[in-house]
Amino acid sequence: MSLTEKLNALKERSRKNLQPEALAILHNATENLKKSGILKMTKKVGDKAPDFSLRGASGQTLGLDKLLEHGPLVLNFYRGKW
Amino acid sequence: MELEALQKALPAFAALGASLVAISPQLEKFNRQVRKQHQLEFEVLSDPENQIARQFGLVYQVQGELRQVYEGFGLDLNKYNGDDSWTLPMPARFIIDQKSIIRYAEVNPDYTERPEPEETVAALKAVLNE
Repeated sequence: MSLTEKLNALKERSRKNLQPEALAILHNATENLKKSGILKMTKKVGDKAPDFSLRGASGQTLGLDKLLEHGPLVLNFYRGKW
Repeated sequence: MELEALQKALPAFAALGASLVAISPQLEKFNRQVRKQHQLEFEVLSDPENQIARQFGLVYQVQGELRQVYEGFGLDLNKYNGDDSWTLPMPARFIIDQKSIIRYAEVNPDYTERPEPEETVAALKAVLNE
C-alpha cells in the first residue's frame, strides 16, 4: 500500500471513530491554517536553507554542514509519534 | 507512517548519494522510541521549541477548540515536546543541495496529505541531473 493509501485509510477510520464535533474542529483548523497565509512564509525552492545543528535520538549533535558533506539532503519535518 | 515509508525509500536515496534526516519538536527519548518502533536507519533530530522549523516558516500555534480536541484525545504536547508552547510544524519535505540551496519543497497545512517518497526520489534524480 502506498503512503497516500495508508493515510486515506487512516482518515476513513477517523471519520468513523471520532465524534462529528471533533472532526469538524479538526477540519476547520486545517482550513483556517490554509487561509492564514502561513504558506507565504515557508521556505521555497531557490531559498537558502537555514543552518541548523540539532541533537539526534542518541544525543549526538548533527549539523547541516555535516549532512551535506557527501551529497544532497532530504529533510523531513515530522510532528511526533502521538 | 510517513517515516516508515521514508525508511523503505532510504536505499533509493542512498543510491543517489543523498542523506535523509527527520526533524521533530519531540524530546530525544520519543525520537528514540520512534526509531526503534519503526526500525528507522536514518536520524530523527530534536528541534526544541520548533526553533529550526520556525526558520523554515512551518510553525503554527495549536489553540482554542483544536487544542481542546487534542487534549480530549489525551494528547499532551508539553509532555512530548518538553515545552509549553503548544506549537507544531506543518508536515514538510525539502531537498537541500550541497550549496545549502532548497531545490524541492513540499509543505502541506493538511496533515492528512503527504507526498509519496517515490515523488521525492524522482525530484532528487531531477536535481542531480541538472
